[in-house]
Amino acid sequence: MKKKALALCLAIVMGMSLSACGGAAGTSTAQPEAPAAEQPAETETAETKEEPAKTKTEEAPQAEASGEKILHAAASFAYPSLDVHKEYYGWYTSIYGISEALFRMDENMSAAPCLAKSAEADGKTWTFTLNDGVAFSNGNPLTAEMVVKNLKRLAEVNERFAYLGEFEMAAPDEKTVTITTPEIYPTLKNDLASPECGMVDLDATTDFDNAPVCTGPFVISKFQPEGDVEVVKNPAYWAGDVKLNGAVFYYMQEDDPKILAMQSGEIDCYNSVSSAALEVYKADPDQYNVVSIPGARLQFYILNEKTLDDAVREAVNLTVDKEKIASYLSGTVSAAVGPFNTNAAYGKVAVPAVDTDKAKSVLEADGYKLGSDGIYEKGGKKLSINIAYYAARSLDTLALLIQEQLKAVGIDSTLTVEEDPDSTYIATGDFDLALYCMIADKSGDPLYFIDSTLKQGAYYDCGGFDDDRCEKLIDELRYETDPADRAALANEIVQIAIDDNAFGYVGLFNSTTVLRKGVSGFAENIPFDFYGIDANTDIQ
Amino acid sequence: MKRSLSTGRKGRNDNVTRIVRWGKNLIRLIFILIILSFLVFALLYLAPGDPAEKRLTSQGIAVTKEVLDAERERLGLFRPFLVRYGEWLLGVFRGDFGVSFRDDLPVAPKLAAGLQKTVQLASASLLLSLIFSFPLAVLAAWKKDRVPDHIVCLLSFFGNSLPNFLISVLLMYLLCIRMRVFPVIASGSLQGLFMPVISLAIPMTGRFIRQMRAEFLVQLSEDYVAGMRRRGVKERYLILNVIRNSLGHILTIIALQIGTLMGGSVVIENIFRWPGIGKLVMESITARDYPVIMGFVLIMGTIYVAVNQLADICFHALDPRGQA
Repeated sequence: MKKKALALCLAIVMGMSLSACGGAAGTSTAQPEAPAAEQPAETETAETKEEPAKTKTEEAPQAEASGEKILHAAASFAYPSLDVHKEYYGWYTSIYGISEALFRMDENMSAAPCLAKSAEADGKTWTFTLNDGVAFSNGNPLTAEMVVKNLKRLAEVNERFAYLGEFEMAAPDEKTVTITTPEIYPTLKNDLASPECGMVDLDATTDFDNAPVCTGPFVISKFQPEGDVEVVKNPAYWAGDVKLNGAVFYYMQEDDPKILAMQSGEIDCYNSVSSAALEVYKADPDQYNVVSIPGARLQFYILNEKTLDDAVREAVNLTVDKEKIASYLSGTVSAAVGPFNTNAAYGKVAVPAVDTDKAKSVLEADGYKLGSDGIYEKGGKKLSINIAYYAARSLDTLALLIQEQLKAVGIDSTLTVEEDPDSTYIATGDFDLALYCMIADKSGDPLYFIDSTLKQGAYYDCGGFDDDRCEKLIDELRYETDPADRAALANEIVQIAIDDNAFGYVGLFNSTTVLRKGVSGFAENIPFDFYGIDANTDIQ
Repeated sequence: MKRSLSTGRKGRNDNVTRIVRWGKNLIRLIFILIILSFLVFALLYLAPGDPAEKRLTSQGIAVTKEVLDAERERLGLFRPFLVRYGEWLLGVFRGDFGVSFRDDLPVAPKLAAGLQKTVQLASASLLLSLIFSFPLAVLAAWKKDRVPDHIVCLLSFFGNSLPNFLISVLLMYLLCIRMRVFPVIASGSLQGLFMPVISLAIPMTGRFIRQMRAEFLVQLSEDYVAGMRRRGVKERYLILNVIRNSLGHILTIIALQIGTLMGGSVVIENIFRWPGIGKLVMESITARDYPVIMGFVLIMGTIYVAVNQLADICFHALDPRGQA
């Protein structure tokens, strides 16, 4: 006890001294975060080596005594409703293991069977066959008619899926759903893998916000709007046995409490692990299992073709070193080649290797001359570009690194930070190089990203990229049904944009999950953000 | 008889004067709130950002312009500024704060829940802070330039300089990891209140000690204290007089702090998962949730004016000389 009191006093005095020396907290976004994030890392490595083991031994008997396997996880987001079809709430009912869609995205970014066992397209008509024995947690079977009702409700309540309302849907028998689209629609199967397309027993559900009746391996037991969520095993799960007895999701936004909760044994896993936390967990591999795979969220930049000539854009792309950036961001990002994961068939593009000498010669061939200050100039005007960015998803760090790398070859730059990119530089096109981050692959198909960024007039085609061949190929892609041909088309389209130096695809955020040893199946190998626990999630 | 009649009339007149003054204050408050709300509404209108776009792309998924426009239409964002403000204001007069742009839920219950949590946190930390700061400030002033004063000033300096996020993480580490007396994840119970209260109270205590000590020192340098000392008045009576005469200014210091506390502390609320109003409003600002922001502005405006009014009344009650 005396030791504890002494430790407490010492720590308080140390904390006060550190703070007094360091002064007050700053207001900048990038710098002041570091000490807070590093604090637990230091404490972990220096002082608490033995503590987690203690926790494990304390926790294990509890679990054994009750005979129940309850997973405790942290969630970075929490929403006020569990209505599967509204907003993005379906992402969270999917993470909680409550709802399931007709298809489920797998590790290979393909839509694998889930509630539906097959999907066949014949021109404009798709035929989906439901899996055998699919039932809601109340025992009611999932019928084709209920699927149609669900999709119609989704179209009504979610603006992003309003297009489903234009499709003709029918249920010719209990197991078959047919959907006829006005035009050939090759990506319908992928769309139906979206978690918002989760199936709800619309007849039995009386409270969509708090207690939807779904088909998942878990059912809600306690829901606190914008707070913690508790689920219990669905004993009547249609796909077999569920390994866990239940799970608790704690709403925790901040990084430090998550690290401390992992160390104290109060949580077993979470995803979207920060780089600072990653160091803590990697330092103790006996205690934690860290799984990191390239995800679907892309950091990229748009080069403005209206303000930058071809040579400057090429020089920029030859200079920006993605590997160095990824290494600086220590494990949170993987260097990208194109916008998609290179494992996907539609992620096979080539980019020129970083070559700063070539970048310089490209500029010199275009008439730029190196000034005495080390910055290129042409016609008496210094080569300086405006880098627009916003301080989220590490784009602030990215902007600084790109600025530094460009300066090394003689391209000066100014940084412009905006709080809201969509209504500022993306809307106005007032930039030379615009940084942005978005999900590039939302359901295992390239059309969404290509349509959003490369199609003429698209919101994120704000740098003036315009290519007739690309337009033609995008139209082909829209109607192409063969997956291999779709991939080939997508690769060709993206390659055109790369060759035109219209964009720079910098990094794909890693989907990083930390699990206490013995915990498995927290969607750690799936690169999409909307999966969490399932029937196979287990604690050994 | 005549005297009692005139006393009664005077009492009635006093009551009438008081009621008129309260009425004037109320009208002034309404006027302030209308101007404040108009200014904030205009600033939000001018600021870049779009609630529809924030809502539809909150998970990083891009949407088409058609989808975005349909959502803007649904939220009524295409209507003229004055129409939108007028509708909102009429709604407020009817007691309807509107629905959140973020999730379509009514604004009033959201704000009420957040405010309730913030009141709990703010009052507990204020009380704790006063319990420590008041006697320490008296001690420091009384023993000026002596050892107790130096110790108190040093503690106050440390408390004042410590950022509350650092205190929070240190507390969590010590109490949850090293000593294991609290869980890291505590619910909104009394146990869950302990660490956020301490984290808020430490810097506040540091500030209070400095401000209160300065006020006590001003009083101690007054002539009446020297006079009392010369007359041989006992020290404890002297202290009581000094405290009583300082209370007016101290109440003003506390009132200003209450206003700040009621705005919530985003950092503390996030770290300790305390669903207070600061966290709610920060999320609403990020999401451009205008109805929630406007509701918050009204509440905060009312709290600031009411607390200052209350402090004013207490000040006059303690020192009637200033009253006209």
